[in-house]
Amino acid sequence: MVTAQLLVNALALGAAYALVALGFVLVLNAAGAVNFAQGDMVMLGGVAAVTLSGLLTLAGVRLPGVVLLPLVVVVSGLVGLLVAALGFWPLRDRPPAAMFVATIALAAVFEQSAMAFFGPEPRTAPALWEGAALMIGGVAFGRQPLALILVAGLCVAGVYLLLERTQTGRRFRAVAQDRDMARALGIRAARLVVGAFALGGGLAGLAGALLGHQFFVHAGQGPAYMVKAYIAAAIGGWGSVPGALLGALLIALFETLVSAALSAVWAQALLYLTLLIILLWRPQGLFGEAIGQRA
Amino acid sequence: MTGVLRIEGLSVSYGGALAVDNVALAVPAGRIVALLGANGAGKSSLLQAVVGLVPSTVRQLSLGDTDLAGLSPERRADAGLSYVPEGRRVFPGLTVRENIEVGMDAGAAERGARVAGMLALFPDLADKASERAWRLSGGQQQMLAIARALVRRPRALLLDEPSLGLAPRVAQDVFHRLRAIADDGVAVLLAEQNAARALAIADEAVVLAHGSILLSGAAARLSPDDPVLTGLLAG
Repeated sequence: MVTAQLLVNALALGAAYALVALGFVLVLNAAGAVNFAQGDMVMLGGVAAVTLSGLLTLAGVRLPGVVLLPLVVVVSGLVGLLVAALGFWPLRDRPPAAMFVATIALAAVFEQSAMAFFGPEPRTAPALWEGAALMIGGVAFGRQPLALILVAGLCVAGVYLLLERTQTGRRFRAVAQDRDMARALGIRAARLVVGAFALGGGLAGLAGALLGHQFFVHAGQGPAYMVKAYIAAAIGGWGSVPGALLGALLIALFETLVSAALSAVWAQALLYLTLLIILLWRPQGLFGEAIGQRA
Repeated sequence: MTGVLRIEGLSVSYGGALAVDNVALAVPAGRIVALLGANGAGKSSLLQAVVGLVPSTVRQLSLGDTDLAGLSPERRADAGLSYVPEGRRVFPGLTVRENIEVGMDAGAAERGARVAGMLALFPDLADKASERAWRLSGGQQQMLAIARALVRRPRALLLDEPSLGLAPRVAQDVFHRLRAIADDGVAVLLAEQNAARALAIADEAVVLAHGSILLSGAAARLSPDDPVLTGLLAG
């Protein structure tokens, strides 16, 4: 019974991490470079949830977390556009390292700004679905993890459908695979890349708001989320969307199940050991396929 | 100089080294102009400059009444320019159908009809419509790259070494199709190292060496065995 609860918690955590990793991989594919500010965009999503909730409470309005989420996504999407405007657009014709460095700088600006305006103490984002635990088959399940799995699952499915079933998604994938060739076919690559930043920002913010209830929100947590996104992408295969989702789930399993069985310290150590073994066995990651052109 | 695609005074340089030097040529509708030259003669740079993928200086670059100079690659494509690059560069993770469909600005029904038209034109691709492009053979990828360019209904089609790496029979098939495409009214600029094959289907030929045009004229008057031509193509 405890295992079932732990599994739900692991799935919930994995679903939230999947949103972080998905946003990271979308921008990585579109821009062809790492957005190092992705972790701090997650943190800003949590900050936005806490701040918006606080402001609305001051105004006498108390919105449930699920209603607050779209507002957080819009704010986070705007943050994504800001990152695109400052960290990508002026550097779009430069080598990928330029964007890498620029987004490191933006990450530091976000962190220090949050520290200045939000303070160092941790806060809690509003719950997505408040109330007593639900009894299912004689086992008590927290509402928040269940709601988190549902919301994150719907978002991941939505992004999957966007990428696989729409002309915009096809164009997005084409830009990710060969930006110059896509441009030669009339595809507005720069607009799609900026759109990926907005979508990546929205997903990061959503993850921040969802995680901010269980794990608090504080200004210095961005780098930890960034490392998780990076590890998820490395485990799953650099640039692979399903790979990143699987990588995120694996991280959550270690942080929940292994942590409960052994300890948090061992869970971290074994996670990194597993990462090393996967990379030794398959340097391209679990879903990273050696795509080449046949003669 | 007349032609749908008109190029005058086009130069490309990489870090001070001139790759294309003051080139002028025109490609009329329904005609194939073969752009011949040895490896490194500047053929690819010239095509990429016309498409807008490498920076260039140019006195005049137009497609019909549209001035292409200064336009982005996207806007040049909208004006009716289509490009089949060296090495095919199909989108490997997209299916055959998606590769053909991805560059079209049209509703789903129109896209479906035009994809079906391309699959009818290239029957080898029809059986593979749902396969990822990286799984195709080189010849099939070449057909796909041409279908992807043609489905946009271009006024001018630029091809860079379409026979490279293909078996002779497959290359022959590709070149026959290019002739049919030109006969439908498309202006075709064909960069090719295999002079004999290109001259067999071209109306006119231009020979590039070290970025400059050294020889041009009716393709029928150029023999691939001409010692002057073979000397130029050997670099």
